[in-house]
Amino acid sequence: MERLQEVATRVSRAGAIAGGALLLFASIAICIDITTRYLFAWTLGGADELSGYALAISSAWGLSAAVLTRSHIRIDTIYVRVRAQARAMLDLLNLAVFVFFFALITYYAWGVFRQSWQSDSHSLSEIQMPLIVPQGLWVAGLAFFVLVSAMLLVRGLRSFLGRDLDALFAAIGSKSAVAEAQEEVENVERAFEAERLEHERLERERLEREKKS
Amino acid sequence: MTAAVSLVVLLAILGSSIAVAAGMGLTGVVLNQLFSSMPLTRVLGELTWSTTSNFILTAIPFYIMFGEILLRSGIAERMYASLMQWLSWLPGGLMHSNVGACALFGSVSGSSVATAATIGVVAMGEIDKHKYNEPLFLGTLAAGGTLGILIPPSINMIIYGVMTDTSVPKLYLAGFIPGFILTVLFSLTVAIACIWKPHWGGNKVETSWDERIRTLPDLLPPLVLLMIVIGAIFYGVATATEAAAVGIVGALAITAWRRRLTLTMLRDVCEATVRTTAMVVAILVGAFFLNVVIQTIGLTQQLSRLIAAYQLTPTQVLLAVIALYLVLGTFMEELSMMISTIPITTPLMVQAGYDSVWYGILIVLLIQTAMISPPFGINLFVIQGIRGRGKLSDVELGSAPFVIALLIMIAIICIWPETVMWAVRVFG
Repeated sequence: MERLQEVATRVSRAGAIAGGALLLFASIAICIDITTRYLFAWTLGGADELSGYALAISSAWGLSAAVLTRSHIRIDTIYVRVRAQARAMLDLLNLAVFVFFFALITYYAWGVFRQSWQSDSHSLSEIQMPLIVPQGLWVAGLAFFVLVSAMLLVRGLRSFLGRDLDALFAAIGSKSAVAEAQEEVENVERAFEAERLEHERLERERLEREKKS
Repeated sequence: MTAAVSLVVLLAILGSSIAVAAGMGLTGVVLNQLFSSMPLTRVLGELTWSTTSNFILTAIPFYIMFGEILLRSGIAERMYASLMQWLSWLPGGLMHSNVGACALFGSVSGSSVATAATIGVVAMGEIDKHKYNEPLFLGTLAAGGTLGILIPPSINMIIYGVMTDTSVPKLYLAGFIPGFILTVLFSLTVAIACIWKPHWGGNKVETSWDERIRTLPDLLPPLVLLMIVIGAIFYGVATATEAAAVGIVGALAITAWRRRLTLTMLRDVCEATVRTTAMVVAILVGAFFLNVVIQTIGLTQQLSRLIAAYQLTPTQVLLAVIALYLVLGTFMEELSMMISTIPITTPLMVQAGYDSVWYGILIVLLIQTAMISPPFGINLFVIQGIRGRGKLSDVELGSAPFVIALLIMIAIICIWPETVMWAVRVFG
C-alpha cells in the first residue's frame, strides 16, 4: 500500500510538472501571437485554443497532486471542535464524496471523449485540433485522480479499522489553515534563501576584488 | 421552501468539512434529486470540459504562475529597501514602507496571500531592529497584503468576472482608485496611531538623498511589469488573459537578468502553479454545476420574489448583503466564500439596481475584510507564520484598526459610487 502511494505521488508530481510546463509554453506562444499580431497584423493562430487545452489537462492532472498534499480547501469550523474519532469519520466522508463526485464527472467526461472519438471531431479553428488528443489527456488525468482518491480512501479505512488514527490524519486529515499558511511562508522563505546566498556571494566577490586592487 | 432546503443542504455538507469543490458538487446532485426530474448530472462531462478549457480562465494559472516567478525573481527585497528610503520619514516609519511595498507588489501580483507572504518575509526582521509596536507593525503587513486583490491584476476579479459575465478589464479599471484610496487610508491609520502614541513608531531609520536616488532603479522592475501588463490591456494590444501571459515572459526575463533562472526554479514554479490551479478549478467546476442546478430549479427567482414580497429597498438589500459577507467572512475560507455565494448574490444586487462592476469591487473589499478578521483570516495566519513567535492574537489586535479602515472604504464606495465607476466611465 505504501509502495502504491509512493508511485502515485511520483506520477502525480510528474503530471503536475508536465502540466505546468504546458502552461509555460502556452504563455510563450501567446506572447509570440500578440507580437506578430501587433507588428505584422498576422498570427499563426491557435495560441489561445492551445492554452485552454493546457488549462484543462494541467488542472485534471493537478487534482491528484492537490489531494495527496491535502491541499483541497475544507471548512473546518466544526471539524476542529469534535473528538478524534468523529474527525476521522469526517475525513473518510470527505474522500468518499470526492470519489463519488469526480467518478461521476469522469464517467461523463469519458462520454465526451468517446463522442469525439466516434465522430472524429476537430476544433473549429485554423489548427483543427483532433479533440481526442487534449480530451484523452484530460480524461486520463481525471481518472488518475479518482484512482488516487479511492486508494487514499481504502488506506484511510484500513487505518480507521486498525484504530491507527494518527496514520489516518497524516494521510487524509484536514490540513489546518494555520498549517496551510505556514507552507506558503516556507515557500517564500525558500525562494528568498537562494537570493540571499547569491547576494552574499556577490558581496564576497566584490570585497575580494577591492582587496586585490 | 426550495431556498430554505437548499441552504440547509449546502451548509450541512460544507459544515461537515467536506472539501468545498466536492461538497458543492454533491449539493448540486442532492438538489437535483429533490427538486428536478431532469437528470442534470449528464451535463457534467461537457460542463467540466467547456469550463476548464475556457481561454478566459487560463488567466488563473497564468497569474498564479506570474506570482510564483516574481517571488523567486528577488525583486521584492530591493523594492522594499528602496521604499524604506523614501517613506520612512512619515510618523510610523517603516510601517508606511510596508503598506507602500504591499501596494506596489499588489500591482503586479493578483493574490493577497502571496503579497502578504512576500512583503512579510522581507519586512519581519525590522521589528526588533527599530523597536516598533509589534502588533501594529504586523497589522500593516496583514492588511497591506490584502491590497494584492484590489489593485489589478487580481485573480479574484477574474473569477468574479467569469462567473458573473462581467468585463475583467472594466473591473481592473474600477479597482485602481479604490486601491489608491485604501493605501492612503492604511497609511493614515498608521500615522494617526503613531501621532497618538509616538513610541509605537520605533527608532528613526537612516536615510539620505544619495541612497534614495541610488535605490530608485530597484522600484523599476515592478513598475515596468505593471506598465506592460496593464498597458497592454488598456491600449487594446492584449486581453486581460493574454496580458497575464506577457507578464510571465516579462517576469522570466527579469529573473534571467538577475541570474536566478534555473531548471530547479522552473520546476518548482510549475509544480506550485498546477497544484494551486487544480484546487481553484475544482471549486469552480463544483460551483458551475451547482449553479446550473440552482438555475434549473428556479432558486434565484424565488429569492427575488421573496425580496419583492418583503418590499426591501435597494439600500436594505445592500446592507443585508454586506452583513452576510461580514458574518461569513469570520469563519469561511475567503475564496470558497466568494465562489459559493456570488452566483446568488450578484443577480439579486443587479436586480436591485447596482452595477455588476461596482458590486465586484464591493465583493473584493468584503473579501479583504474577511482576510484580516478573526477567527478565520488567512492573512492573519500567514503573518503569524512568518513571525513564528508570540500569539496570533497580537496580529488580530494589530489588524483591528485596518478592519475599520476597510469598513470606511466600503462606506466610501457605497456613498460615492463614482469612486469606483468614474474610471470605468472615462476610460472604459
